[in-house]
Formats: sequence, structure tokens, C-alpha cells
Amino acid sequence: MKKPFLAVMCLLLVTAGYAQDEGGTTDEKVSELKGQVEGMNETLTEMLGGLKSLQKLKFSGYIQSQYQWADTSGNPNYKIGNFAGGEFSQNVRDRFMVRRGRLKAAYTGDLTQYVLQIDVTQGGVGIKDAYIQITEPWLKNFTLTSGIFDRPFGFELAYSSGQRESPERSRLFQTLFPGEREIGMMIGYKNEGDGFLSHINFKGGVFNGVLNTASENDRTKDFIGRLGFTAPFQEQNLAIDGGMSLYMGKVTSNSRAVYSIDKSTKTFVTDSAMTDSLGKFDRKYIGADIQIYYDIPVEWLGGFSVRGEFITGDQPGTASSDRFYNNAHGGTVTPLYQRKFQGWYLTYIQNFGLKNQLILKYDVYDPNTKVKGKDIGATATSISGRRLTATDVAFSTLGLGWIYHWDSNVKFVAYYDMVSNEKANQSATGSLSKYTKDLKDNVFTFRIQYRF
Amino acid sequence: MKKIILIMALALTGLSLFGFRPANEVITIKGSDTMVILAQRWAEIYMNERSGVTIQVTGGGSGTGISALINGTTDICNSSRPMKQGEKDRLKQRYNTLGVEIKVARDGLSVYVHESNPVKELSIDQLKQIYTGKITNWKEVGGNDARIILYTRENNSGTYVYFKDYVLGGADYAATCQSMPGTASVVNAVAKDKNGIGYGGAAYSKGIRSIAVKKNSSSSAYEPTLENIKNGQYPITRFLYMYTRSKPSGAVKDFIDWVLSDEGQAVVSRVGYFPIR
Repeated sequence: MKKPFLAVMCLLLVTAGYAQDEGGTTDEKVSELKGQVEGMNETLTEMLGGLKSLQKLKFSGYIQSQYQWADTSGNPNYKIGNFAGGEFSQNVRDRFMVRRGRLKAAYTGDLTQYVLQIDVTQGGVGIKDAYIQITEPWLKNFTLTSGIFDRPFGFELAYSSGQRESPERSRLFQTLFPGEREIGMMIGYKNEGDGFLSHINFKGGVFNGVLNTASENDRTKDFIGRLGFTAPFQEQNLAIDGGMSLYMGKVTSNSRAVYSIDKSTKTFVTDSAMTDSLGKFDRKYIGADIQIYYDIPVEWLGGFSVRGEFITGDQPGTASSDRFYNNAHGGTVTPLYQRKFQGWYLTYIQNFGLKNQLILKYDVYDPNTKVKGKDIGATATSISGRRLTATDVAFSTLGLGWIYHWDSNVKFVAYYDMVSNEKANQSATGSLSKYTKDLKDNVFTFRIQYRF
Repeated sequence: MKKIILIMALALTGLSLFGFRPANEVITIKGSDTMVILAQRWAEIYMNERSGVTIQVTGGGSGTGISALINGTTDICNSSRPMKQGEKDRLKQRYNTLGVEIKVARDGLSVYVHESNPVKELSIDQLKQIYTGKITNWKEVGGNDARIILYTRENNSGTYVYFKDYVLGGADYAATCQSMPGTASVVNAVAKDKNGIGYGGAAYSKGIRSIAVKKNSSSSAYEPTLENIKNGQYPITRFLYMYTRSKPSGAVKDFIDWVLSDEGQAVVSRVGYFPIR
């Protein structure tokens, strides 16, 4: 801005000098010059006003490009890589892919914010965030968020994929909260001041409960909320953060066929209390999370963190899916299967200097806590019962990885997922017979990320 | 697969060895423009006294310095405002550390007007109304009938943020504000503009007049003098900070210890700021 301004000023002075030679009083010329400068000043002020508005608009984004290699090629009998960036297609054993290609635009005003984020990959363009956030003007502690945004549950769900150390979220989050986002309205509380309340935060809201890419399909709304705390112990180089989360929602069955587990036969049986279609069934999760950070006072080492999370609850799904039941009235009639689930993860991240990080992660997800592996594939004792399927198999994943931060924008991630499945009954037949031993479904990921 | 794991292990070992190189005796300091001269004086004196230590000081604003700390491109960040919670969270996520805040000096934020301006004092509320564009003429605050020309800092400046948070109560600056790249530029602009008003550190206030500031309309007005700032009567005062990612160690610790020593704090007074004790 300075250079053009100076150039114009010089030009004016030269012009003024030339004009003086031509004639006219000095006062007239000075007056003329003054008028021109004032005019320029007004133009400049107007331009600066426009520039100031533009400064409120910020773009950020990241691209994650990766190569993946699986233990065996994708096949129709069981899924490989479905929690490591997407299922490997049949006969595909390794692949290149753009896992995420995000571009986020945020326009931040005094007490308001507009956010739009898209995701561009080889699979197409998808919307991730589209929300408005308003901060109340009195205390500036409460916010109202409306639109499509992260569900306020637990820690890992809202932890950005661009920052997260492991390439993917834990299996339990991918199952319970596919896409991470939802459509709804949320109240947030955060106190930037001092005192006890600055250590407490809350987010809670009401959502459609049908995914961020679908329209509402029933009469019920879901509540999702998290009450969190943060406890820094500055002198001890220690911080402990955590929270409790709750999901209280319902899904509406479009089928009269509703099944729940019979404890004695270990099969799904018709739920006699729920035989009507359009019945409403609990989708209820409760969770607790904790994050511990400790800065080891050794120069070449650095800080570490241990992060853990536990979630349990009721998940209404289908025979072939442990994801939440999401079938609209009037759509394909699909029986509803009720399961009690449980999942957790523990992550250890160790910094080595400024550039390197070691990651160890272990996560467990049991979609049906009322049955064990030996029940899956066993002969049903009741002819009316529906047998357990691969959907009821529990999985655990041990992840080991290393991150190298090339500079402030680029990082390299090498990560190996070792996936173990619950062993099905030895008498299992058909596609279930594959689950009588550990599947060859480990996945190696090498990722390059550019973030700005 | 075994081969891949072996290659991965070798590559990671190489990378880790590369990352484990011990820090040399070069200390980088980035951040607050308000603190640039102070930090340069500290660095000059310290390097004269200790051979084998090189200190590189650059400005750019507090926000820039904090980003550099988070990105790993500086050892010490100078900041004329406290770190925000969001910035602390980013540091925690990237390094698993909390960051260390060290108060190194105090500063009275002066409000400058041209020396010919008849306005001698303003309240915090009047300043807020002026900088948010509600008061636009000097005659509304006892001055000449002339439009007020507003000078401010760029939004990556800690001074900008502090003034916005503390004086404007978080409200937006008027669109007519002209952003200047440093406090010296603000001083220079106001010195040349008889209708101008600007703000900045006390160290830069030579050649123009600093006005007295009142906490509210009924309280007394105080000028940003050493005495008024020390006894807390001047209402716009703040700490100046240094931030590190982890607890300082080695050469960085030695330097910060020296900054906090009597010798280092004497430099604070010489540059025109106020020692922390």
C-alpha cells in the first residue's frame, strides 16, 4: 500500500511544480494540492475499511495424501481397511488415495462467526461444516451454534483430523458417530477469565440425529452434550483435562420386526413389547474421557500425553450393521436390532524434540456386550431365534506410528494398524467361518499432510 | 510386510536421530513489536558479556511470535498480551506441553495526540467511543472542530489486541482506523497529523504528547508516568511477557534468568518500560 501511495504523492508534487511554472499563485496551487491529498486520504480510508473487512475472512485447510498396504487383498467375505480410511476393494491390496482434502473459510466478526468447510477427495466433494456461531454480548462466555458441526461428545470426535496423531479415529467413534458432524443447534459455555469457572466448559445441543448429509426422517430429536474440565498444574508441568458426555436420542423403526438378544439362547428374538412399526427405540450413549499432559524436563525429549476414553450404551442397528438405525418411514422396511455396546481407547504420544512424535494406540469396540465370540456361529438353540452375525464380532486395534514434522506445514506419518477380531465359534459356517481365527486385515499407512 | 516394517523402522530411526540433535547456542526471539527494542538491548548486552551465545531478535507482532512458538520456529516468544486459551490448546496439542509464561516488564499503554491538540485528558469510555467510531469529531471531547483521524496497529499486534480487549471492551475498531506496522509508525503518523490519535508503548512516546487517562468520567486523570504506572493509578497498564514451549533449560534458561536479574531489569528502565519489581 505504501509504495503506490508514495508514487502518487511524488507524481502530484512533480505535477504541482510543473503547474507552478505554467503560472497561477502559489496559494492556489497549494490549495489544489491539499484538496487532491484530502481526496486521496478519503479514498485510502475507504480502501482500508474494505481491507479490514477482508482481514476477517480466513482460509485454512489441509490435504492428506497417502499410500496404504493391507495384509491381504479386499474380498467379499470380510472387510479390510474399513476403519483405516475406507474398505479395500476386491482384489486390491495396496492403494494411493487422498484421504482428506479440506478447505475451510471462516469469517469472524466481533461476536459472530460464519464457517464453511468442504472436503474434496477422489470420491467427490462433500460438505463438512456449515454453521453460524453467535456469542452473547454481555459476558461473552456463552455461544449459540447452528448448522452442521461436530457433535459435542467426548474428546476424539472433535479433535481435528489435521491435528490428530493417528491417521483415523478409533473404531468406536467411526461406528457411533459416522462423519462426526450433525445438523442442529448447540449452546456452548467457555470462560476465558480467571477463577474456578475458567476450568469448566460445556457444550450441549439438540440434533436431528440422522447424519450431517441426510434430512430429518422422524419426529424425535436427539440431545448430545459434554461437560468438561481443564486442570493445569503449571509448576508441575502437568495438565489434566477430561469430561463426561451423554447422548440421549431415539430412532424410529419402520418395521414391525424388532429384535433384541435373548440371554439364554444367545440369539436375537422378537421383542414382544415392541411389535408395532414406527416404534421409538433408545439410542443412548454415556462416555467419559481424560487427557493427561506432562512435559518431561529433558531438552531433547519433550512432553507426552496419555488420552483415554470409554463409551457404553444402547445402539439400535440392523442385522448387518452396528451403526445406528437410520431408515426413513416409507423407505425400505428393515428390521431393527437392539444391541448394548462398549468401547474404549488409550493413546500414548511422546514428543522427541520439536520434530518427532511416537504414537501408541489401543482401541477396543464390542458391538454386542451380551454375547461372546464363541456364541457367534454356534447353532441356535431356538428355531425362532435369529443367529448372530459378523456384525456382533468385537475388534481391537493396536496402532504404532511415528510422525515427523518436516516444517510448520508438512508432516509425514508412518502408522501400522494391527487389527484383532474376537474368534467366532469353531462350528461357524459360511462367511462367519473366516472369523474363527484372526483375519489378515492389518493395514500400513504412509501419509503426507500439508496444512495451512 | 516384514520388509516394509524393517524399512519403516530404519527410516524412523534416521528421522529420530536427526531430531535428537542437541540445541546449539543460538537463541531465536520473535514476537511483539513493542518489545523489539527492549529485546535487542537485552541481546546486545548479554552477547557482549557471554561469548558463544548468539541471540536473534525479530518482531512481527505478538500473534506472529506465538504462532512461531507453536510452529517451532522460535525459542522464545515476546508478547505484549497473555496467550489466549486457544493458543495454549494448540501448543498442548502439538507438543504436549503447557507453555511457560514469564513476566519480564510492565508497560503503560500511552495514548498519543499531536502536540498542538488542546485535548489534555480522556476517559476509557471516551477512548472506546472514539475508536469504535461513535465519537468522530474532536469538539465532542473538548477539542477543535475537526475530524478525528484514528491510527491503530495491525491485528497481529499484542498492543492491538490488548487495546481492543481492555479499552474497547472487545468491540470492533471503527472501519476508518488506519493500521500501522509498528508503534513507531503510529507515533510518526500522529506527529504529522494534528487531528490524529494513536496508542502504543511508553518507550515510543518521544516527540508527541501523551494524554492523561481517566478510569471513568468521575475519576481523576493520570499521565503514563513511572510513578502512576507503578502505583496502579494510570488505568492502561499491562505486563510484557516471554513465552517458551517448555520449562526453559540450557542457554535459554540462562538468558531468561539474566533478563529477570537486576542487570536485565535495569535495561527495562533504560529503554523506557517499568521493571517487574
